[in-house]
Amino acid sequence: MSAVGPAVLLERDAAIPLIHAGISTRSGADEDPQGLEGLTRIAGRLMRRTAGGKSPDEVDARVDRMGASLGLDAGHGGVALSGVVLERSFTDFMALLEETLTAPGLAEDELERLKRETSAELMEILDSDQQLAQRWFLRSVFAGHPYGRSVIGSERSLAAIGVADVRRCLEREFRRDSVLFGFAGAVEAERAQQAAHSIWERLPSGGGAPPAPPEPVSEGGRRLVFVDKPERTQTQILIGGIGSHPSDPDHFALLLANTVFGGTFTARLTQEVRSKRGWSYGAYSSLGYDRRRQAFSMWTFPKAEDAAPCLALEFELLEQWWSAGISEAEFLWAQRYLIQSQAFARDTATKRIGLRLDEMLNDLPEGWHDQFSERIAAITLEQANAAVRNRISLEHLTVVVLGTHAAIGDDVRRAIPRLGDERVVPFDTE
Amino acid sequence: MLSIPRQGLAVSEQPMSSPTSSPSATKGAPPSTFTQRLNRGASRDRQIHHLGGYAFGPLLRIERFAMGNGLSILMVEDHAAPTVAYHTWFRVGSRHESPGKTGIAHLFEHLMFNETEHLAAGEFDRELEELGAESNASTWLDWTHYEIAVPSSAFARVAELESERMQHLVLRGPQVESEKEVVANERRYRVEDDVEGSVGEKLWATAFERHPYRWPTIGWMQDIEGFTVEDCEKFYRTYYAPNNATLVIVGDFDPERVLGKLQEMYGGYRSATIPDPPLEAEPEQTAERRLDLIKLTPTWKLNLGYRSPALGHPDHLPLSVLSEVLFGGRSSRLVKALVRDREMAGDVRGSLSPLRDPGLFEIFVSAREGFSADQLLAAIDEELARVLTEPISSDELERAKARIELGLLQGLMTNEGKASTIGFYEVVLGNPAAGFDRLLGLSEIRPQQLQELSARYLSRKSRTVIRVEPQTAPAVAAGEAE
Repeated sequence: MSAVGPAVLLERDAAIPLIHAGISTRSGADEDPQGLEGLTRIAGRLMRRTAGGKSPDEVDARVDRMGASLGLDAGHGGVALSGVVLERSFTDFMALLEETLTAPGLAEDELERLKRETSAELMEILDSDQQLAQRWFLRSVFAGHPYGRSVIGSERSLAAIGVADVRRCLEREFRRDSVLFGFAGAVEAERAQQAAHSIWERLPSGGGAPPAPPEPVSEGGRRLVFVDKPERTQTQILIGGIGSHPSDPDHFALLLANTVFGGTFTARLTQEVRSKRGWSYGAYSSLGYDRRRQAFSMWTFPKAEDAAPCLALEFELLEQWWSAGISEAEFLWAQRYLIQSQAFARDTATKRIGLRLDEMLNDLPEGWHDQFSERIAAITLEQANAAVRNRISLEHLTVVVLGTHAAIGDDVRRAIPRLGDERVVPFDTE
Repeated sequence: MLSIPRQGLAVSEQPMSSPTSSPSATKGAPPSTFTQRLNRGASRDRQIHHLGGYAFGPLLRIERFAMGNGLSILMVEDHAAPTVAYHTWFRVGSRHESPGKTGIAHLFEHLMFNETEHLAAGEFDRELEELGAESNASTWLDWTHYEIAVPSSAFARVAELESERMQHLVLRGPQVESEKEVVANERRYRVEDDVEGSVGEKLWATAFERHPYRWPTIGWMQDIEGFTVEDCEKFYRTYYAPNNATLVIVGDFDPERVLGKLQEMYGGYRSATIPDPPLEAEPEQTAERRLDLIKLTPTWKLNLGYRSPALGHPDHLPLSVLSEVLFGGRSSRLVKALVRDREMAGDVRGSLSPLRDPGLFEIFVSAREGFSADQLLAAIDEELARVLTEPISSDELERAKARIELGLLQGLMTNEGKASTIGFYEVVLGNPAAGFDRLLGLSEIRPQQLQELSARYLSRKSRTVIRVEPQTAPAVAAGEAE
């Protein structure tokens, strides 16, 4: 970003007459004031719906007429207003983006309608066991931290949001020094640059990324949150805690060790839980990141009768991974897998733009993703095993089980070694 | 992983185009030149014949080959990325099953990742991952699909691995038992504990009385639990033969080297006699069918299924346009009416099944709090009646067409996407380029035609209605009340 023009990322690929275009910011739901959770998401959506002071019907019809999609995604550390459009409609699409950002109507009645729609979304989540388990997992791992707050908001916080809050939020989000433009597909550099500049010069000056939130801290011992839902034949189980951030010196080493543990179809978790025992259709572990460390998590979904033995097995595998590490053969296999599969991290223009945006939005050095294979190749077995012990806390772990407590609650509790706090929450608790 | 598509591809077809015999637009020699070289001294089963090509959009071209043993090969050379998509489609799905043995096509798809004569259990996936490959598989009513995407340099090894499991799979009791348990858990995940999954299953089981589309691809739980090694062996020997398969290879490769490798790996396989599926024609539906369910869900749900034509029927394309007019995006008639204007629903979706035989035009609605399924149904009926009284405007039609074009092109961004699209149309219609034929056909569609189709297909007497009442107190057992 500079005082004279916008930051524009472009990957040209004219093979298919489509263009992906979007604007991202480095300020997201973490900036929502206490009591106004969901503000960033709802403000962005209201802006998109009322572009140019038009009605949502007119805006939606216009998007469809172009052969386009346009959506707004709000995350903890950023917002992305982006979509894809048939090449022939690119000019109109960029005009719509400009009207969205610079002249939204933000009608009060539409805000109220949007709030009611969001309430309905919250209600729909009650049908998704996986989403419910994930919600309670993040609340527990990141208790007291912004990453534990809801991006979508709650009934209470939605009710408190007014048009003045929306305006303040959008003024904070979309400023010249806050936005990044990304284009991928059948568009020439000059055309993309002009379209971006036309929007950028109409945005208020200033901005920039707000300070990142504090680094989350592992604490609280081993905790069980049992999400009690009647008549479950199957459970959802999440185990985990704080993971790592790409800026951590041992992030790549941990990534490699996790690949062996639960990162692929032949990793230890899948082999032991699914292939050998048939206990769960899926069994994976993953590492996430934002501007700070996100969660390390293990995910399985065994039938109710297998929940307790599956939990016990997962703890055994976790502790074995932590204490004995991975073998030389596993290490070499994972190294080859991670390097070879990089071909699919960048095989389309859209993915390549995504990697560059990821660097800019998450405080990573430019070219960080380009060095991925080189960094993986430089890791030693000892570094991979040390990273597990250094980053993964066995002392502080959150376990979330969604199931029917009356049927399996006691067995689940007994299956977790050295369990500290236990909490049972009805599934429909907001 | 190993997913079952619920609604298939959001595209439809036009009458098939014939393959042309013009030389390939790909780089290098025309295909007939190198097939001649490859066939020198080869036995009849191993010989490869170039059967012509199809334009695949403005820049690419599909070349069709057949091996003497009946294996079909479709290739698209595209050097935009250093990867190759290697897809294997078998013309077997749950329509080939019989009552008591439902779900075996899908279970078998799982078993295909196990032991072979030359690879111990787990080695297939392990080696693919070491090559940097991405792999997956899916089964549906008409077909089974195995997909591998790999860096270009690893093509030859993938051909060895993929051909090995077509004819040299080893089936053992413990692995079959373990995989049955995995599939049972998949069923719990997708159906038993999933409101929409369980309702969709009931819809098809109620709408169809005789055709095999009446049972779910994942199979009934008691059938999954009952499969034996012998059942699996029989299924494998019956359907996994070269003449029941199509390979789709898309990406960065040298066509002569690829064909040479395929000839080496598959040329020794013998064709088999593939039995016709045990199909019974579904009688015409003459009266509305209804089923009421009670589920643990916060609001009423409504699932409708209107009898719809097969993908190859001339009405399918215009009906898919009508589906877009009614359900495609926030400006579509039903979404606008039920979600936005009347605020009765949180979610409204409609889709037309893309199948070999007639299927369903499905509508799923999740009510907002305070609205019942009957209120939703009345509102839907009102909107469908409006199609007849208030003609579809040219603007609505153009929006629907633009959305269909966008959907097709978005599916072609990667080599995997291209291979999936080509293979799907090939196994269902026998025309791998039908996706683009469909785009051409859109220009022929007129609003009046959509009105006529609406009257013909979206009639109450040919529909099935599933109403799902929210269970008010958790203590009340979930159940059915017909």
